[in-house]
Amino acid sequence: MYIMYSLKLAVQSIWREKWINLLSVLTIAAGLFMITLTFFSVYNMDLATKKLPEKFSMMLYLNNDLPEQEAANIISTLKKNSAVERARYISKDKALEELKGVLKNADYVLEGINENPLPASIEVKLRQESVSISKVKKLAADIKKIKGIEEVEYGEQFLNSIHSIKAGAQTLGLLMISIMSTGVIFVCYSTVKIMFYRRKEEIETFKLLGATRGFIRAPFVIEGGILGIGGGVVSLIGTAALYYTLFYKLALAMPIFKIIVFPSEVFIALPLVGLTLGISGAIIALGRIRFS
Amino acid sequence: MIHFSNVSKIYENQTALRNITFSVEKGEMAFITGPSGAGKSTLLKIIYLSEKPDEGSVTIAEWELSKLKESSIPFLRRNIGVVFQDFRLLDNRNVFDNVAMALRIRGMTEYDVKERVMEVLKTVNLRHKTDSFPKALSGGEQQRVVIARAIVGEPTVLLADEPTGNLDSDTAAGITRMFKEINAKGTTVLVATHNRELFRNTGRRVIKIDNGAIVGEELG
Ligand SMILES: Nc1ncnc2c1ncn2[C@@H]1O[C@H](COP(=O)(O)OP(=O)(O)OP(=O)(O)O)[C@@H](O)[C@H]1O
Ligand SMILES: [Mg+2]
Repeated sequence: MYIMYSLKLAVQSIWREKWINLLSVLTIAAGLFMITLTFFSVYNMDLATKKLPEKFSMMLYLNNDLPEQEAANIISTLKKNSAVERARYISKDKALEELKGVLKNADYVLEGINENPLPASIEVKLRQESVSISKVKKLAADIKKIKGIEEVEYGEQFLNSIHSIKAGAQTLGLLMISIMSTGVIFVCYSTVKIMFYRRKEEIETFKLLGATRGFIRAPFVIEGGILGIGGGVVSLIGTAALYYTLFYKLALAMPIFKIIVFPSEVFIALPLVGLTLGISGAIIALGRIRFS
Repeated sequence: MIHFSNVSKIYENQTALRNITFSVEKGEMAFITGPSGAGKSTLLKIIYLSEKPDEGSVTIAEWELSKLKESSIPFLRRNIGVVFQDFRLLDNRNVFDNVAMALRIRGMTEYDVKERVMEVLKTVNLRHKTDSFPKALSGGEQQRVVIARAIVGEPTVLLADEPTGNLDSDTAAGITRMFKEINAKGTTVLVATHNRELFRNTGRRVIKIDNGAIVGEELG
C-alpha cells in the first residue's frame, strides 16, 4: 500500500507551506471554537431548563362534591402513568390548614369566613428524567378530561415561554453551527485547492506514470484531515482555557458559573469534528480526477 | 502489441495525424521518424493515452483504447514506460526519488523500491548521481534518469520520444545500445526520432511519417 508514502507527502506538503497551513489551522480552530461555544450555550440552557421545578409539579383541583373515594380512584389511575412519581390527596381541611400555616400571624384575613372556600386537590409530582415540556402539556390536557377534575394548574405560561426561548436558541444555534461548519469546510477546501494547484505539474507526471485516483488524492485528503485535527486540538485548548477561567476563576466571584457543565466527550469530539470537516473540504477541493 | 487502424488526430485547425495504420509486434523494436512537426509525439501520446484519436482505433495488447474504462487507464500506463520528449522530471526531487516515483505509485514497499531503483541507476550509469537534483545534471544525465524511470517498472512496452535530443553521437550510441538491451529482454520498444544516426545499421523497421501521414517504411 502507498498510504505510508501518501502520509509522507502530506507531511512534506504541510511543512513546505507551513505559514499558509498554520493560518488555516488557526482559522479552523476559531471556527470550531465558535461552534463549541454555541453548542455549550444550547447544551447548558437545555440542562438548566430540565431542572426547573415548575415542570415537575401539578395541582389538580377537584369538584366540590367529589367523594374522597373517587379522588382515591383518580390517584391510583395517575400512578399507573410512568411519568408520575407520586400523587397526594389534599382535602379541603388540609388545604386550609396549610394555608394557615403559610399565613402564620396574618391568619386574621381568614376571620369571618365560616365556610372553607378552598377546594380539595391532588398534588402530582412528575419524574424528572422522563418529562419534557411537551409531555407535561399533553399530560395536563389528558388529566383535565378526567371526570371530577375541575382544573389543572401548572406553570403553563412560564413553561411555554421557556419552551419557545429554548426552541429559538436551538434553531439559532443550529444555524450558527451550520454556518461555522461550512466556513471550516471552506477553509480546508481553499487550502487544499492551493496545494493542489501548486503541485499540478507533478500530479500530471504522476498520472502519466500510472498513478491511480487514490494515490493522487490520498496526500491531499490526509493533509485536509491533519489541518482539521490541528484546528480541533487548538480549539480544544481554547475551550478548556475558557472553561477553566469561568469555572475556577470567575465562579469565585459569580457562583452562577458553577452550574456550567463541560461534557468530557468534547475532548474526542472536537478533533473528530475537525477531521471530518477537513476531509470533506479536501474531497470537495479535489473534485473528479481525470486521466484523459 | 501496438496496432493503429486508420487513426487521425486533429488539433483545433491543425491535422497532426492522417489515417495512420501500422502495427508493432510483441518483442519488436521499431522506429518512427520524420521531420519536426510530422506528428511523432502525437502518435506516442495516443499510445500512452495522453491524447485521444479523433478517428480510427488503437489497440495495445488486447485493449481497445476507446473502450477502456477511465479507471483502468493507470493500470495500462504502468505497462507502458515512456521517455518523454520534455523529460517531465520533478525539479524538487532528487534522481532517486524521480525514478522511485514510478514504483511508489504502484504501492511498492520502500525496501523493494530502494533495491530496484539502485539496480536501474546502475544500468544507466548514474549510481553516483543518486542524490543530485535534475537541475544539477547534464542533458545526457537527465535523459538517462528519464530512461531509468521508464524502465524501472519493467514495462511490456517502452516508448521513447526523441531520446537523444541534442546529445553528441557517442552518448546517443550509448542510449541506443541501452534500448537494444532492454528489447533483448523482451520489451517491445518504439522510438520516435528525427535523428537518422539512431537507427542506421540497426536492421530494425523504420516507419517514416511526414505531415501526419505515413510516407514509407524501410529497414535501418
Ligand atoms: N496540443 C496541441 N495543440 C495544437 N496543435 C498541436 C498540439 N500538439 C501538437 N500540435 C501540432 O501537431 C503537429 C504534430 O506535432 P508533434 O508534436 O506530434 O510533432 P513531432 O513530430 O513530435 O515534432 P518534433 O520532432 O518537433 O517533436 C504539429 O504541427 C504541432 O504544431
Ligand atoms: Mg515530438
